[in-house]
Amino acid sequence: MVERISMISKWLVSGMALSLVSTSAIAAGDSSAKSGGLPQLDISTWPSQLFWLMVTFLIGYVIISRLVTPSISSVLENRSNKISSDIETAKEAQQKAKDVFNAYEASLSDARSQAANAAATAIAEAKADTVSREAAINKKIVASTKKAEAKLAEMKNEALSSLEDLAVETSQQIISQLTPIKATKAVIKKHVKIHAKLQS
Amino acid sequence: MHSPVEQFTIKALYALSLFGYDISFTNSSLFMVLAVLVSSGLLLIAMRPASIIPGRLQCFAEMMYEFVANILDSNVGKEGKPYFPFIFTLFLFILFSNLLGLIPYSYTVTSQIIVTFAMAFTIFIGVTLIGIFKHGLHFFSFFVPPGASKPLIPLLVLIEVISYLIRPVSLSVRLFANMLAGHTMLKVFAGLAVMMSGAGGVMVAGSALPLIAIIGLTGLELLVALLQAYVFTILTCMYLNDALHLH
Repeated sequence: MVERISMISKWLVSGMALSLVSTSAIAAGDSSAKSGGLPQLDISTWPSQLFWLMVTFLIGYVIISRLVTPSISSVLENRSNKISSDIETAKEAQQKAKDVFNAYEASLSDARSQAANAAATAIAEAKADTVSREAAINKKIVASTKKAEAKLAEMKNEALSSLEDLAVETSQQIISQLTPIKATKAVIKKHVKIHAKLQS
Repeated sequence: MHSPVEQFTIKALYALSLFGYDISFTNSSLFMVLAVLVSSGLLLIAMRPASIIPGRLQCFAEMMYEFVANILDSNVGKEGKPYFPFIFTLFLFILFSNLLGLIPYSYTVTSQIIVTFAMAFTIFIGVTLIGIFKHGLHFFSFFVPPGASKPLIPLLVLIEVISYLIRPVSLSVRLFANMLAGHTMLKVFAGLAVMMSGAGGVMVAGSALPLIAIIGLTGLELLVALLQAYVFTILTCMYLNDALHLH
């Protein structure tokens, strides 16, 4: 669109200029008649222009196709090669970094799980140890309690029996001193026992 | 007063003749030589460092190369590759002719219809031959638009053939007329400035106006010089594409 507008305006401008040129040529009269209007239409200059155009364009073509184009395209190619190889290297480095990171992550999680395992077994062992020790201590306590109970019972029995003996002796003496009845030990014992039973 | 078209006069600098033809080395020839030397010399000097990381001048040379390579690639594709040196030469020749012509007292090679027509006609013959060599007689199917209704075909073929034959004319006249018009306008305004300053009085102060106009026009002509080189190149690529791929 812009191209078209610019082309149209170019045509308008050139048309205006051409008409301007032709009117000024007409107005100039004699002077333009000498040069014969537009110098571009002077056919006598054409062979020289065509010849030199051919020569210079060909020389230009040779220089540009043999020297300029290869030098620029080789530089551009080198650059794109360099860029792509650099990108390749960067990608490799990135991959390497990723690998290292992954390995680190793996070893880290490995270490973590090992630590967790160790902790768990340690806790379990400690628990088991505690339980067994508790059991042993409980057993000891029970045993010593029983021993103490047994001893206590024995002592009680002893005390009771000595108390009985004391009661029998005391009763015999009281009876012999207060009454003329000669009570045998066996009878008294029997009575003491009955009394003890009744009291308890 | 000088005519505004006098600037286009060919002046022989060194008389030469070949087989009876006058092939004198002229002001036009000098600027053709300069266009070639300046363009290729500039690019060769610019590419001297040939470094991976380009400097300013090398960047410029690479930009020129890639600009033309992109035009060729987007219009023709991969098959256009072998024609790159020609297209690049063509672009540089026209561009530097146009630009050198803007320097005061220089000569604009491309303001000569015979020069632009010779280039356009050579391209026309060239792409036609490429088309015929590549496609044989099938090339002429190019003149039959696809999907046209049968009764219209003769008319359409006539139109297509005329529009094909007119290509070298439109291609050459476009460049020629742009250069001619631009340089004539510059000269007209310059002449006006000279005339006004010579008239004396208020006119001397007023002569600043055409001078300012010349500055603006020179900027415009710089744009035209670039644009026309681009247009000539892109149209050449399009014609080449037509020859290589038909429709």
